[in-house]
Amino acid sequence: MDRARILALVRKERRQLLRDPKSKRFMFAAPVLQLLLFGYAATTDVNRVPTGVVDHDQTQQSRALTDALTAGDYFRIVLRSDRSGDLGRALDGGKIMLGMEIPAGFAADINAGRGARVQVLVDGSNSNTATVAQGYAGRIVQQFGLREARRLGVSLDRGVDLRTRAWYNPSLTSRAYNVPAVVGLLLLLMALLLTALSVVREREVGTLEQLMVSPVTPGELILGKTIPVAIITLIDLLLVVTVAVLWFHIPLRGSILALLLASSLYILASLGLGLFISTISRTQQEAFMTMFLLLLPFIILSGFLYPIMTMPAFFQHLTVLNPVRWFLVMVRDIFLKGAGIGDILLPLLVLGLMAVAVFGAAAARFRRTLG
Amino acid sequence: MSAAVQANELTRRFGGFTAVDHVSFQVETGEIFGFLGPNGAGKTTTLKMLTGLLAPTSGSAVVAGLDIAREARALRSRIGYMSQRFSRYGDLTVGENLELFAGLYGVTGERLTRRRAWALRMAGLEGQEDRLTADLPLGWKQRLALGSAVLHEPKLLFLDEPTSGVDPMARRAFWDLIYELAAAGTTVLVSTHYMEEAEYCHRLLLMHRGRIIAQGPPGELRSLMTEPIYSLRVDHAPRAVESLQHAAGVREAALFGRDLHVVLDPGRDDPDAVVSLLAAAGHPVHGIERVEPSLEDVFVALVRREGGAVPA
Amino acid sequence: MRAPDLHLGRLLAVARKETLQLRRDPRSLAMAFMLPLGLLLFFGYAISWDLRRLPIAVRDEDGTAASRSFVAALEGSDFFQVAERLDSRAEVGRGLQDGTVRAVLLIPRGFSRDLRAGRRAPVQLLLDGSDANTATIMMNYADAIAARWSQQVVLRGQQPPGLVTAESRVWYNPTLASRQMIVPGLIAVIMSIIAAMLTALTIAREWERGTMEQLAATPVHRLEVVFGKLLPYLAIGFFDVFVSVVLGILLFGVPLRGNVLLLAGMTLLFLLGALGLGIFISAALKSQVLATQVALVVTYLPALLLSSFIFDLRAMPAALQAISQIVPARYYIAVTRGIFLKGVGVQVLWVQGLSMIIFAAVGIGAATAAFRKRISA
Repeated sequence: MDRARILALVRKERRQLLRDPKSKRFMFAAPVLQLLLFGYAATTDVNRVPTGVVDHDQTQQSRALTDALTAGDYFRIVLRSDRSGDLGRALDGGKIMLGMEIPAGFAADINAGRGARVQVLVDGSNSNTATVAQGYAGRIVQQFGLREARRLGVSLDRGVDLRTRAWYNPSLTSRAYNVPAVVGLLLLLMALLLTALSVVREREVGTLEQLMVSPVTPGELILGKTIPVAIITLIDLLLVVTVAVLWFHIPLRGSILALLLASSLYILASLGLGLFISTISRTQQEAFMTMFLLLLPFIILSGFLYPIMTMPAFFQHLTVLNPVRWFLVMVRDIFLKGAGIGDILLPLLVLGLMAVAVFGAAAARFRRTLG
Repeated sequence: MSAAVQANELTRRFGGFTAVDHVSFQVETGEIFGFLGPNGAGKTTTLKMLTGLLAPTSGSAVVAGLDIAREARALRSRIGYMSQRFSRYGDLTVGENLELFAGLYGVTGERLTRRRAWALRMAGLEGQEDRLTADLPLGWKQRLALGSAVLHEPKLLFLDEPTSGVDPMARRAFWDLIYELAAAGTTVLVSTHYMEEAEYCHRLLLMHRGRIIAQGPPGELRSLMTEPIYSLRVDHAPRAVESLQHAAGVREAALFGRDLHVVLDPGRDDPDAVVSLLAAAGHPVHGIERVEPSLEDVFVALVRREGGAVPA
Repeated sequence: MRAPDLHLGRLLAVARKETLQLRRDPRSLAMAFMLPLGLLLFFGYAISWDLRRLPIAVRDEDGTAASRSFVAALEGSDFFQVAERLDSRAEVGRGLQDGTVRAVLLIPRGFSRDLRAGRRAPVQLLLDGSDANTATIMMNYADAIAARWSQQVVLRGQQPPGLVTAESRVWYNPTLASRQMIVPGLIAVIMSIIAAMLTALTIAREWERGTMEQLAATPVHRLEVVFGKLLPYLAIGFFDVFVSVVLGILLFGVPLRGNVLLLAGMTLLFLLGALGLGIFISAALKSQVLATQVALVVTYLPALLLSSFIFDLRAMPAALQAISQIVPARYYIAVTRGIFLKGVGVQVLWVQGLSMIIFAAVGIGAATAAFRKRISA
């Protein structure tokens, strides 16, 4: 391994990358923009969901219940009516996600101590938000009932008083979970794209052949290509973490060293993947498509959008092979649970092994395709 | 004086297709050795095997004293190579490209300064170090490629169709550079499909469909052609050509600008018969002279002799 | 303005050429047929949001029949699964920290005593809040189970006076099976990605190779070129949607409650728009590499994020909701979900229909206009 030759190659890459304004924008601005987009869009919080209320009672109590619904900012009432059919129509048209129908005689029943029942209709098309919304609505009604009972002097203070507290993310905002995960995905994307495309581009243009006929060894060539990408990806990591912490206020409670270590291994694995893709693509076009095709299962089976534990067993086992999955576990633990290196030993080990294996296999294949 | 390149039954197959078929030849030190033939003749494949880029299917070769199969890695520091396509980095400047190749070939320090200055002067790019390579006209690009290929003063230089697409003036200038290098002791192996460039070489290898059909100095090759060629001046050359198409004793008749070039069968050196034929057909001949066969004529004749179809 | 002189014959000639080229390009074919189906199967089987048997740890300091009954109620719900019983309070944080359990239930001593005395008995549930979504769902479920248990066991099934309850019914997807939500949306997402990518890929190639100029030298009209190119891809798109629908119904049990013809019509509009967009991108960008990248970014990201496929649009900040107005996949998803799950018709979906007509018009218009620079009308 001749250091001078590697340096010459790295310098060349640097010049090429920095000279092209489009690629500069892509390398540094795009990840930040994507983080912002994902950060805001990727929310599973039930927040100010459009709701409709049909009040057949129109009493102080029914109005109190309606008001209680909006407390906590989960629901936003966009429809008030006294016709039953309106709820159904609004649900059909997607104008509301949840509807509550208060029957006539609601207040009378409560005051007489007979108890009352309200109807809640939920749009189940998005089963996730439906479950959450349904739960919230039920709770609100229950709390309302308890308050009314207390007011009337009826002792309902019996039974279990379940007090919940959420650790690591007391306000239970889904962003705390999603944003660190997006960080991981963006790094993967960058590493893959830059490595694969740059190698294939040289093959397409014909400069790769020129390098092959020079004294440069395949190993030096690999380093010459991957070192610049690694540097860029690390810079991206810094940028993106800064945005996550400063803009989205995601707490970074764990050890930065652990984050760097985990990221380095992850980037190594991603570089290996990018290198591998470059050996099976003849044109930049092909490289891009292959990357896109590979990216989808990696994202789906990573635990980012969909929880792994609810997948069928076969797929759960498959996720073990996914470096993204391991990185996400580590990154979330570091951000939210304050994990240090000692806490993430297992995922570090697995990711480390994977990184070495993938990079090694890719390098071997690369060598073969050159010679 | 041992040969700079010794090739022995070099063969390369791609699946069922034989690109280079048992090619053997020898190149002396300091020679300009040309590979001549149409596209698909196997010139590029042969060159790639000699530079270690492609492994031969069978056969062997020794380049600069090294076996191409076993010592390909060591070979690279001793040779220079210019590929058929322009293969320098368009998004780097002239200076940066030179610097890269210097770094790759281990040309450093004082030697770097010297060679860099030489390359710029040779390519006529002094003062243009900061110009993006993509912005250079093609002729200059090729000169830059040549300069960066010899930064490390290799003993052997392999050029694969270095002047394709370049205008004749620039081509002439390029060949002046090649001559300079050869005079200084570099052995140059160059492939081309421009017949007139072949004249510039010391020795030639004519290739067709992967096989050698002739080798030797250009003059010697020309003498291989025994068919006499005459140039005739007539009034309506296109129509005159038609009337000669199936004439006895005429191997081939073709337009050559406004004139007619007629190749007669070997041994039938009877130009007067042709003149009378044309006159009878209503095309009086105003002038006739015997011409030296060009290498293209030689090539076509040789190929035809082998019984092969002449490529377009 | 003169009416353009259009010939069906020329249009069909362009379409035929396009089909022949497609047939000979294995990669495009693979992408056109295998990718959508592969994605559908993959997504359909792998993904589910139906949370079951979430592991929790229990620290029962009361150890009475009552406390055991309460824990059993949680476990019996199939939603929770008691993975660990803790021996000391100190262990409470560990399981959450290393992620082996999602929640810890802490029942203090005196639980049973409080209940018998007619007081409210406090119980602590510590959730792993890092996954906010699951945590929220756990919280609500636990609440509901606790309330039901209280009613059944403590109050012995008597409806206490004055209790207000909510009886909820879930429309369209009563079992809240997430697959029902995913599959109709998936069809829309796949189609928008594929449509743009496919056309960007194959058409940009023509620009690069220069054969488009060949076309320009013939008397063909721009509209004929655009529609001629669209035809084979329309056919492919329809085929893909058809197979996806059938698979969705047969394999995943997604109901089809609405009008199939309406679905077909809306699909046509959507495909026209998506394909037109792809043609426009490839015509405007000239290079294959760039065209694919832009097509992906412009269709993939919005289709995934801003179309309501996964993340509910109604929960997003207003700015993003505004942007989503121009994401065609959003309307198509509303249509597919509407027709599959809700069984609604034109009276409801006319808004989406109109949007997609606009989308189709814009897509085709842009594509045709982009040809102006190269092919004169």
